[in-house]
Formats: sequence, structure tokens, C-alpha cells
Amino acid sequence: MSDREAPFFIGWAAMPPGLRWFMGGIALGLILFLAGIAYVTAATQDDPGQGAFVGRANATGILQAEPYPILHVTESADFALGSALLLTGGGKRGVQGRAAGLDGALVAVSGARIARGDIAALQLRGGEAGLKALEQAAITPPAVQDLGRWRISGEICDGKCYAGAMRPGRGLAHKACANLCLIGGIPPVLVATDKIDGTEFFLLAGPDGGPVTDQILDHVGLLIELEGQVQRHGGMAVLRLDPETLKVIP
Amino acid sequence: MSDRYIPVQWNANKWLYDGVLLIACAAYILVFLRLGAPAADLTRPVDGAILRMRAFGSCAFFMLSVILCIGPLARLDRRFLPLLYNRRHFGVITALVALTHAVYVLNWYYAFSPTDPMVALLGANTSYGQILGFPFETLGIVALLILAVLAATSHDFWLSFLGPPLWKALHLLIYLAYGCVVAHVALGYLQDSKNPAFALLFGLSALAVAGLHLAAWAKAPRKSRGSGEWIAVAAPHEIADGRAKILPMPDGKRAAVFRDGDRIGALSNACAHQNGPLGEGRVIDGCVTCPWHGFQYRLEDGCSPPPFTEKVPTYNLRLRDGVIEIATKPNAPGTPATPLQIAEAAHV
Repeated sequence: MSDREAPFFIGWAAMPPGLRWFMGGIALGLILFLAGIAYVTAATQDDPGQGAFVGRANATGILQAEPYPILHVTESADFALGSALLLTGGGKRGVQGRAAGLDGALVAVSGARIARGDIAALQLRGGEAGLKALEQAAITPPAVQDLGRWRISGEICDGKCYAGAMRPGRGLAHKACANLCLIGGIPPVLVATDKIDGTEFFLLAGPDGGPVTDQILDHVGLLIELEGQVQRHGGMAVLRLDPETLKVIP
Repeated sequence: MSDRYIPVQWNANKWLYDGVLLIACAAYILVFLRLGAPAADLTRPVDGAILRMRAFGSCAFFMLSVILCIGPLARLDRRFLPLLYNRRHFGVITALVALTHAVYVLNWYYAFSPTDPMVALLGANTSYGQILGFPFETLGIVALLILAVLAATSHDFWLSFLGPPLWKALHLLIYLAYGCVVAHVALGYLQDSKNPAFALLFGLSALAVAGLHLAAWAKAPRKSRGSGEWIAVAAPHEIADGRAKILPMPDGKRAAVFRDGDRIGALSNACAHQNGPLGEGRVIDGCVTCPWHGFQYRLEDGCSPPPFTEKVPTYNLRLRDGVIEIATKPNAPGTPATPLQIAEAAHV
């Protein structure tokens, strides 16, 4: 075949016979190629874990407002006595406003339970149906046990998404979402790579025991190392971190 | 070619091209959601919205990779030239797939918050001073904006309005968009993914784009053979009938010297339409035909045949000692330049 007779495609003319099979093969190849990599990409996704919303739950307990609202369960058919729950509002909202003035009070809570292993959270219903102070005098909050200063590696997550409100609810792809949750008042947790005193989840607090959100936003979703004082508040491990020691592990 | 603007000049090839694209795109999304995801070994399923944002996001990345491979593939093997013909529709569909990905992200990761989603998109993560944790979403936004602008200006109206050089310079932003997408994925999803399968596909795709461009670049002539008023081209028989020899000129542009039987003429290598490589085209019925979209120019004056009005610069030629020489200074677009007449029998 001379060069003049070699097939030459012109868009507005009919496809040259010599190119039809080639182009047909390209079209079929493109469809199979995209379908194939779609299957591989989807089938090899990482496991987001077992966290999930697991139905309605109710509890009575002692509310602790700082560093972030949690409940120490004293009575419940849904949670173990002595366990501690992270309390959240709907969506990316905390319940600091609702918990204000109730620190140390006996309260009844109701809402959607979120659970992942040892970490449990409760997304409160609106109004008094979700959080209501109970009249009872002489409530004794759980004792604080100091476990000393520790250097810990792990990932800072928002407690709600990590517990199962989103799957996956951790990692860099989720970082902006987690930041938004934390800015909205959701309690931050450190998911440690190694257990301390039998636990791998730590509610984060500042050195003074107050909120620490603003100091940790650049380090959310990353493998980091930090130092701080570990305390046990009843069923909740709290880490009073030293923000100066926060560093990303390359 | 057209002497007026209509939304899309449909023809059988375009219907076929778009049909294959839509089937391929639908196959990707459906296989991802209906076959691939259920086959994953998961304790509990990934959230539906996250699954769909992954499906559309990865689809957009692979489609963009394919788009960027078409140009160099067509340079390396002319059989791939038909893929160039309707590439702009490929780009528009890819932009829509990328937009769908962005909508899922916005309505999931940035929803359910007291902060406005658009404010949250730019303000939730501001760690611009670090690599790990860098707000990779911003890179995705830049890429999406570029894709949107390129899709919106893909019509020939904008090509005519802006002029081919500016239009082409604008559309070269596709490489910036691809770079942003690569960084967007590398600093985002890839950091979380423990399974190497996607990382492998991602890396191979980016390498294919880079490798094919390097191969096409290595093949293209770049150095001019001289700087005087005339430079040597070749002996007439060294140019295949109906084809051209492309020459880099001293002014940095390229000329294409065509042989049409016993006539030899020279035009600018840049088509007036999208600056396509005329020299990689063919002389058909006496007209140089662009390999990209079939625009045609008469060999003797660089004008499109009536009723079309496109023009390209011509070059004067002469024959010295059996060698074609080309004038280094081009004539104005549409200027007649009498083709050399070569005795066919003496040179074929």
C-alpha cells in the first residue's frame, strides 16, 4: 500500500475501512479498561471498621462539661454502668451550650447511639427529650486517677465520625470534615497506636483540663506524636496534652 | 469546517465517539458501585456518599489521564488520530464527572455543620504550611475550575473569539489541572489507602501520561537547519506523495512542505482552527487536510476552499541542485505561492 492509499481519518467523512477495526478495538478496550480499573479500585478499598449508628439509647448519669461534654453512666439498659459516653448534637455540632451549668449534675440523656469498639457516643435528641437535669442532691462525680506523663503516637480524630457517624471517619481524606466537626464542638479523641492502661482512645484536653480544639487542628488526621498527662475520669481516659510537643511523624 | 456557528455539528463519527464515551463512563461508575464495592472485604460498608465521591473522583482522574494520552499517541502512531477529533467532548464529559465528585464531597464532608459549606470548604483546613495535611481540596478546586473554564470555552465560537494562539494557550492549562489532580489525590486519598492497588493504577496512569509526552517530544524536530533567507528541505522524492515534511524554522515556528503528485508547496504547520499539525495531515483533492478536524487549505495559497474563509501563511519554495529550499520568511496568510512543478517520472 502506498502512503497515498494508507487510511486517513477525516472527521466529517466516513471512517476509512482500514481504521474501522482498529477504532472498534480502541473503543472496546477503553470500555473494558475503565470497567476493569473501576472494579479493582472499588474492590480494594480499605475497611472503615465496625463503627456505626446502632439505634436509640437512653441513660442516666453524671454530666462532665469539661474539657468536652461527656456522661458517666449510672443507670442504663443500653450502656454498662460506669462507662462514659461522648455527647454530641446533630450533625457537626457539640452540646457545650446545652451542657453549660450542668457540670456535675445528674442528667437523663436520650439519642442515637454511635459505637465502635470501646468508644461510645450519643447524639442527643433535641430539647429536654435529649438532655434533662434530674433533681437529686449530693452527686459524687467519679474519682480522677492520674496515670502519669506519657509520650503517645496516634491520630487525632473527631470523636463522633471516628465512633461511626461516618465510614471511614478518620484519615487525611476526612481531615477537613473532622476539623469542621471539632470547630463545631465535637469532642476530639486520640486514637493511639498502643494501648495505655488497657485503652487506645483518649479524650483530649488542654494542659489546664479545658478544651484544646484550636491547638490541634493542624494535626488532625495525621500520624502524630505528643506528650501529656493521662488521667482516668471514671470510664473515660483523658489526655491533657502539651501542645508544644505535638509533631507529625513522617 | 464551518462557515457559521451551531451548538454541535453532529455527524456519525461524533455520535459514535460520544456514545462510546458515555458507555465507558457509565461502565466505570456502575462496575465501581455495583460490582467492585460489594466485593470489597469490609466489616461494614463505606458510606454511600463517600463511595460515590470515590467512584466519580477516580473516574474523572482516569478519564483525564486517557485524554492527555491521546495527543502524544496520535503523534507517535497516526492510527490514533481519530481519537483527537472529538476530544473536546471527552473533556466536557470529564468536567461533568469531576463536578459530580465535588458535589458529593460538598454535600457530605461539608454538610451538617453550622458553617456554610462554601465557607467551610475554604476554611475548615488551612494547614497550607505543611505537606502532610495540606488542604488538598484546594488543589481539587483549582483543577475543577480549570476544567470548567476549558469545557465552557471548548466551542469554536470561543476559538474564533479569542484567536487560536490565546485559545490554545488557555487550553494548555489542562496540564496545570492534571498536576493539581495528581497532587490532590497524592496528598489526600492516597495517604489513607493501605491497599497498594489504587496507588499502583494511579502511578501507572500518571507515568503513562508523562512517558508518552516525553516520547512524542523526542520524536518531534526542533532544531532549525539554518538561519539565512533560504534553508534546504529535502530532495523532492524524499517527501511521500500526499504527505509533508515538517521543518522547524528560525523564527521558532514550523513549516510543512507537501508533495501532491508533481506539485510541491509549503504552508505553515499550524492549522488556523486549533493550531493542529497540518504537516501530519494529507493532501486530498489538492487541499492540505488537517489531521485533527479535517480543516482544508489549498496548497497554492493556503486558503480554505469557498465558502470557508480560514487562511494560513504560505512559504516560497525553490529548487537548487535537486534540493528543495524554503524561504525562511513566511508570506501573509492566504498569499499565493506557486507550487514547484516536479517531473514525476524523474523523482519517484
